[in-house]
Amino acid sequence: MRTKRRYILARILPYGAAVDQKQLYLSVIEAAASLLGDAAVGLAQPAVVYCDAGYAVIRCRRGAERDIAAALATVTAVGDDRVSLRTVAASGTIRALRRRMRPIRPIPEDEEITIGERAYAVCRYPGQKVDLIEKGIKHQKRFFFSELDLEER
Amino acid sequence: MKITDACIFPYPDGDSTVSRMAIEAGELGFDSLVVIGDAGHRLSCAVEILQGAIITARSIKEVLRDLRDPAVRRADLVCVDAGDLSFNRALASTKDVNVISKIHATRQNAFDHVAARTAAERGVAVEISIAPLIHLRGMKRQQALNRYADILALHRRYGFMLTLSSAASSILDQRSVREIRGLCGLFGMTGAEVNEALSSVGRMIEPSGPVGAVR
Repeated sequence: MRTKRRYILARILPYGAAVDQKQLYLSVIEAAASLLGDAAVGLAQPAVVYCDAGYAVIRCRRGAERDIAAALATVTAVGDDRVSLRTVAASGTIRALRRRMRPIRPIPEDEEITIGERAYAVCRYPGQKVDLIEKGIKHQKRFFFSELDLEER
Repeated sequence: MKITDACIFPYPDGDSTVSRMAIEAGELGFDSLVVIGDAGHRLSCAVEILQGAIITARSIKEVLRDLRDPAVRRADLVCVDAGDLSFNRALASTKDVNVISKIHATRQNAFDHVAARTAAERGVAVEISIAPLIHLRGMKRQQALNRYADILALHRRYGFMLTLSSAASSILDQRSVREIRGLCGLFGMTGAEVNEALSSVGRMIEPSGPVGAVR
């Protein structure tokens, strides 16, 4: 008989992080297996069914959503990139979760700031949030500021 | 009931400033934060910023010396890292110590029923940090869960306060109240106990009691 499923919507932080769906799945499985054990994860059957626009939808067996949500809180990296998953909602359908998705886009601006000897690109987001991303090709360092911090500099 | 994250380490110790962590904390359901380090100005935002201080010492003598430091005296909340059994017992009875922290890194019986009773009498809280549950793996996380379960059993028996903290140095380490509830459920903490622990800092800083007359 077809098992009943639940879907968990999680926001991916930091904003703008390019996360590969398969890598995310491996991170979720690793975190869940480490926390709950192989037997519990085998029964829960977690899977990443959607990963785009700063959101991920994780499917699991009905009844296991609390355990999987706790495991999502222990995900700290995807691949080599530091990432955090924040559970937004759980639902029986992906359609209901899509209504909760509100993509957060940076306010377009071309600004630069120097901290120490390094240059950082400024990305402003709604809610007075400012991300500073180091200029470079790989493994850029990030700082998380607010509008107030930039004004004080 | 004020929901408080009992310990964060903002910029320059971490990569996120106090104001940014306060904005995120507000979205995650928190009413106040305890900042270890420079809290800056107490910003006018929805989240209250409290100044915290952490003391790491090997003996009670060092703790008493550090408690006299002006920066520690100014702090709203004073946390001292736990040590061995005799140290923790003495700590629980030390004046001006609010919270015993890093209990997950201590040995099995480092916090026993004597320390628990003294902590309950003196109003000293024990900190439960979710950082080991998030960042550690394998045996170290198992040990942390085991220690927290022991502390929870003592808390239920003797009634001392618990505080909950994320020990976050970045917005990526901060977790919502619901996620903290889920993580604390791993070692048997109920939703009501989590709520009580999250509000204990508020109760410590503003204890409710009869109004006294000042002459």
